[in-house]
Amino acid sequence: MENLWKYLTGVLVIFITWTVLSFAINSQLILPDPLTVLKTLVSELQKSEVLEALLITLSKIGVVLAITVTFGVLIGFFIGLNDLIYDILRPGILVIQAIPIITWLALVMFIWGIGWLGPVIVSILSLLPHTILSTAVGIRTTDKRLIEMAKVYRVPRSKVIRNIYLGSIVPQLLSALQVIIGNVWKVVVVAEYMCGDKGIGVLIAWARQSVAVEKVYAYTAIIILIGLIVENILNHFVRKLLKNWELV
Amino acid sequence: MANFDKINLKTLGNILNTVILNVKSVSKSYGKLKVIGDISFDLSRGESIALLGPSGCGKTTLIRIIAGLIDDYEGAIECKVQKMGYVFQEPRLIPWRTVIDNLKFVEENEERIFKTLEALKLKDFANFKPSKLSGGMRQRVNLARALIIEPELLLLDEPFASLDVHLKVSIISDIIERRKDMNFSMIVVTHDVREALLLSDKIYMLSDKPSSIIEEIDVSNVPKDISNPEFHKAESQILSKILGRWIG
Repeated sequence: MENLWKYLTGVLVIFITWTVLSFAINSQLILPDPLTVLKTLVSELQKSEVLEALLITLSKIGVVLAITVTFGVLIGFFIGLNDLIYDILRPGILVIQAIPIITWLALVMFIWGIGWLGPVIVSILSLLPHTILSTAVGIRTTDKRLIEMAKVYRVPRSKVIRNIYLGSIVPQLLSALQVIIGNVWKVVVVAEYMCGDKGIGVLIAWARQSVAVEKVYAYTAIIILIGLIVENILNHFVRKLLKNWELV
Repeated sequence: MANFDKINLKTLGNILNTVILNVKSVSKSYGKLKVIGDISFDLSRGESIALLGPSGCGKTTLIRIIAGLIDDYEGAIECKVQKMGYVFQEPRLIPWRTVIDNLKFVEENEERIFKTLEALKLKDFANFKPSKLSGGMRQRVNLARALIIEPELLLLDEPFASLDVHLKVSIISDIIERRKDMNFSMIVVTHDVREALLLSDKIYMLSDKPSSIIEEIDVSNVPKDISNPEFHKAESQILSKILGRWIG
């Protein structure tokens, strides 16, 4: 209850600051007041094309999350188990991680043009290296003494992976998932903005073209709100899923 | 029959010619540093030996070679046992698993697990994770894990080093009791004369590194009771030898 109170106070502080800044700047083109944005938000949410765009963006996020987590953890797991493969692949993964989103966008547009696939590919390429490396680091920092113990007792490899390695990657995996869940919205929307044909990012691009600043803010508010809700729900499930590997 | 009762386990092992471990001229170097000189000994079924030597003389290295944790050594190890338990210096428990799950990691037979938990007074702690256990309890789980597989050979690598006297005595009593029931062979690595006397039939005194066996002492007739004057006499004799060999 106390936390909720603090949370609501925080939200109130944002709205007060926003209102004060809006009056100080006094330009609806730069910073519309919260009430105008709220009215636009309510009216936009009643439009079927906005809801459709929202669903499309959400579906892309779902696909990106599923692929990134599944492949990131699997690839990270296997390269983490083998020093040679890790040393060979690590520079390549670091290079992919360092490439700016804008470069991927250009490349994806050349190959697939504007459409559904572009934002998904770009988002996966942006988030996958972090997942791979976090998982690999978790595997590599596994307590070797536990592995020795398993060797003495001739424990089957599958059991060692399930009980020791999986538990060892939990801290890294948890932080990697939090980074991914927190960033996937931003990455997908930016990719949609640049090379998407439908979705909230595309709506923002259109709103910018028609100088409908209040709509840009309204769509951004939608992204933030749904992003926070999805983030909380996913974090809850991730923590529940990983509860088995908690230390206390 | 009465005569048969008097035959100790070591003699019985020799009669039946059941040598289960043969260590032949084993030596080991780390770079230019020779840790183990040239060590040879046999271990018969049901026999217990102690490797008594100063800290850092290579005792742990030798027991790790026997356990198959070190492959690059000179000489040969012939080991005929299928099941080997290892009580490590530090408990090496999987931190995110409960006591019962740590035991299930090496042995899935529930009846055996509960029997061992009961015998080692761990039943009430079965669902505790290692972080909730005291150092002594963790070491008891370490022992339980080694005994649960019903080993033919039990290796003990200074498992009492970090325990207070009460816990040490209590766990040593547990081992003696279990050995009476299960009749496993045992190799105890220690620098403590009392531990060596309590747990073994024969003591191999090791020199400082590169370690080699400097004396073989038969202690099978020494009563395993620290309140017995004979025990103290044997302890004093070995201590004088140590003073002469290691220090003098």
